[in-house]
Amino acid sequence: MKQLNVVVNATHIPRLARKKVVTNLLFYSVCVLIAIMMTLPFIWSFLTSIRPDREIFQIPMQWIPSQLTIEHYREAFTLVPFGRFFYNSFVIALAGVCLNLLFGSLGGYAFAKLRFRGRTFLFRMLLMAMMIPPVVVFIPQYIVLVHVPLFGGNSILGTGGYGLLNSFWGVILPGASGTFAIFLMRQFFMSLPNDLMEAARIEGCGEFRIYWQLYLPLTKPALATLAIFTFQAGWNNFLWPLIILNDPNKATVQMGLQAFSYNRNTDFGPLMAASCAVMIPIVLIFIYLQKYFMQGIAFSGIKE
Amino acid sequence: MAAGRVGKHESRMAYLFISPAMFLFFVFMVVPVGMALFISFTNYDVLSRSDWIGLANYERLIGDYIFWVSFKNVLIFTVIYVPAIVILSCLIALLVNQKKPGMKFFRTMYYMPTVTSAVAASTVWLWLLNPEYGLVNELLSYIGIVGPAWLAQTNTALLSIVVITLWMTVGSNMIIYLAGLQGVPDHLYESAKIDGANKVQRFYYVTWPMLKPVTFFVSTMSIIMALQLFDQAYVLTQGGPANSTKTVVYHIYNMGFNQLQMGYASAQAFILAIVLVVFTFVNLKMNRDGANI
Amino acid sequence: MQKVKRLSVLCILVLFVTVVSACGGNNGSTGNTNNSEDSSNPSTENTTGAEKTKVTFWGDWGGEGAKQFETMADAFNASQDKYEVEYVVQEDMITKFLTSSRSGQAPDIMFWDRWRTSLYAPKGVLHPIDDFVTEDGIDQNDFYEEALKELSYKDSLYGLPITVDARALFYNKTLFEEKGLTPPTTWEELRHAARELTVWDGDKLERAGFSFGPWEYNMYHWQAGGEMITEDGQTGFNTEAGKQALQLWDQLLNEDKVYKLGFEQGMGEGTDAFVTGKVAMLNTGPWMISTYKKYGDELDFGVVDMPAGPGGKASVMGGFGLVIPEASQEKEGAWAFLKWWTANPENALLWAKTSFNIPGNKKAEEDPFFQEDPYLKPFLDILDYAQIRPRHPGYSIMETDALIPNLELFLNGDQSIEDALEKAEKQGNDILKNNQLE
Repeated sequence: MKQLNVVVNATHIPRLARKKVVTNLLFYSVCVLIAIMMTLPFIWSFLTSIRPDREIFQIPMQWIPSQLTIEHYREAFTLVPFGRFFYNSFVIALAGVCLNLLFGSLGGYAFAKLRFRGRTFLFRMLLMAMMIPPVVVFIPQYIVLVHVPLFGGNSILGTGGYGLLNSFWGVILPGASGTFAIFLMRQFFMSLPNDLMEAARIEGCGEFRIYWQLYLPLTKPALATLAIFTFQAGWNNFLWPLIILNDPNKATVQMGLQAFSYNRNTDFGPLMAASCAVMIPIVLIFIYLQKYFMQGIAFSGIKE
Repeated sequence: MAAGRVGKHESRMAYLFISPAMFLFFVFMVVPVGMALFISFTNYDVLSRSDWIGLANYERLIGDYIFWVSFKNVLIFTVIYVPAIVILSCLIALLVNQKKPGMKFFRTMYYMPTVTSAVAASTVWLWLLNPEYGLVNELLSYIGIVGPAWLAQTNTALLSIVVITLWMTVGSNMIIYLAGLQGVPDHLYESAKIDGANKVQRFYYVTWPMLKPVTFFVSTMSIIMALQLFDQAYVLTQGGPANSTKTVVYHIYNMGFNQLQMGYASAQAFILAIVLVVFTFVNLKMNRDGANI
Repeated sequence: MQKVKRLSVLCILVLFVTVVSACGGNNGSTGNTNNSEDSSNPSTENTTGAEKTKVTFWGDWGGEGAKQFETMADAFNASQDKYEVEYVVQEDMITKFLTSSRSGQAPDIMFWDRWRTSLYAPKGVLHPIDDFVTEDGIDQNDFYEEALKELSYKDSLYGLPITVDARALFYNKTLFEEKGLTPPTTWEELRHAARELTVWDGDKLERAGFSFGPWEYNMYHWQAGGEMITEDGQTGFNTEAGKQALQLWDQLLNEDKVYKLGFEQGMGEGTDAFVTGKVAMLNTGPWMISTYKKYGDELDFGVVDMPAGPGGKASVMGGFGLVIPEASQEKEGAWAFLKWWTANPENALLWAKTSFNIPGNKKAEEDPFFQEDPYLKPFLDILDYAQIRPRHPGYSIMETDALIPNLELFLNGDQSIEDALEKAEKQGNDILKNNQLE
């Protein structure tokens, strides 16, 4: 809107400013164009969720609904106990975020900044583990989980019970082994200068304090990124929670979303309504964490 | 003497730092991968049997037509997709890293594809690419081009999947670059400005080198994603037409979970992993400074 | 600095809270694991005051579908006082079944996509029901023979059908009336009607007269009098029947120009171009009736028998059954429920009316609910001759990996009829060989 005013007044301002207006206009046009491309499917899903059934399939595709309805939202939320599912998914996703941030940054820092024997070897192993397609590790992981000793009625040898089955830990822990998190954080710590660490050591600072007070604050943008990714991964996880959790009260939102297709039919209205509701937490977290991308990191305190 | 003690202390602390993650990694990754490797030498069917059959699964793989066709597909996919995602996500990150009003809004918009429901995304993309009613062909017709049936023709289907995957993944790679851009110290730009460098030069001599670790991360993760491509091709084209979008992981999944030949599926997975290691190695060579491993 | 500290304190706090609540969840779950153990081991413990034994029923229908299953379970629970059936939805049931059988947990009875029987029964994870059937004097003639065949392996029967479906010809009545056409009964008439109904605007296909695709090949092959898999376990498409089927497609696509590749992509779920009148005829199953009624406000459609090819009429039968896993702890109860649902025509009818499916019990179909329904009646006639897909554990993957790709190349104009059939035969035989049971 601000833009428009500027354009209107364009004739009254000097040429240099006018050039700026033109580049700004161009800049925002590009931004808007990309934004439309990126959000088209979301817009469709939102519009589908608020239009009557008979208008969902039309050729050519109709964008503006002739009539608005919140019926699909009511349907979706009465059919599936989403309140409970939201809570479950939230616990799983949040625990994933905390563990990944902590373990990922600790590990990433060590791999990037500290020298120790086996550093290269261990890091290569971490990378190589990502090369194995998860579909074939799936069943072995399940077997490991069932045989975790001393959990779920298991003996110290890991037999006799159900291990971490049907427990949120069974979903959270495998996700917290975060190769992705370590790799990401390592790359960011690597781009930070070493002299900070050396200076601190001379002043007698402990290694943990160097990590926690000097380096970690500098990677806030990376931590924010990691937080978004891991939250989303936990929130969208479908197959693993389904396999691990038996109790219907522990079901997650992604399992709830499956309720709208059965017997080769899909109920698009309620499905889109539920999908739109399910994405809200991720979008909110994204918007909240954005402030860590704004500040242009506090390098000012560091001497080159 | 003192240096040695510091070194010892340093490495002890390092082991402490990595131990929680490495413990979980060992239990939930190393052990299962070892089991999967063992399974690849058996006729394991998940349900009733797992007899050692030696290299039989690997031998069978040599003559598996579908496996090699899908291998070719994901290789082509990777070669186009990886450079494209690196360039695109970096460009978009630069775009929204400006200190201008409204950037917060646009960043959120560009991240939307990663949170949009997959059903909605595929529905809209199928419509966009429809030969008769799709927006893409409609636009092409204004400049006198009769567009193809994008997803229904063997020569355009894979390319369409590349474009759709780019669309889906550019948002998350954008924020990785964005985070990386926050780490470029302002004084570097300022001194470059004083030296009379223009915008392009400043990017080439200051930004890009500083982003190398991030680029190595983005490209490595993209290579892994590309060679392990599954969901997009499965949802949009079911591997067709004529196997042109069938992927290796799709085949592995089919063999393991639908045909109950987990041993054979695992063998395929390890061959794919070896190729991935090779690709990562090449990527490493191209990103020397950023990688350091 | 201050901010970082606050943030980290917050982070630790959150971590603590989640850990505690996850722990709570864990404790609860230990109890629940025991519960589920109880439910799969119910004979030892009575869970309700009414002294009823618990029977766990798994299916992959959620939402409305789950409600339909619960209606049946409730009706069964009310009908007797020995067993209490509980429906548990498993969104990816097969994967869940695979993993849970690793840890010795299994449901007592399972909703079952019948074609999987040929793959799972030989592994010994399904319980044969022959003894139950003889003991209770179930007349197998009450059920569709083909459906029972699909639930059998070697000489054992592993379940009974709860739904049967087939493909029929759906047509848009309004468009047919406009052109003064009657529904086609032969391939020739099909071509004629399709030609009449197609509308082109220059290079742009406005309306397709008929929609078809490579995934329906088996029906055309049978209509031409062919066999998909021969007695000796080889593919049967590189034959005269195969040629005739593809010739028909060639004529429809290239001579009559009633369709265009990719035409329906992006029109809702593949076939919903029919809802909007962009496709005048297509073959599909009874599950689409409710969708067409729901989304197609202005759509007036009819369902008729399949058009006959040179080899006669043919359609493909599919559907679901109920099976009892070998690991079930309560097979008696599972059988009681299975029998109540499928072998009793009244209950089969209740199921049909609840879910708008055609039950596997033929006696239930004498009811006016089917006989007077213009949409369902044609399906009953088709079901009398419809056949199941070949019972080879590699059939489905042979179709998707060898047959359909080669048919797509042919439809795309990249290979001739002869090449398509020859390559499909060769690759198909390889796949069948690699996926047979030792």
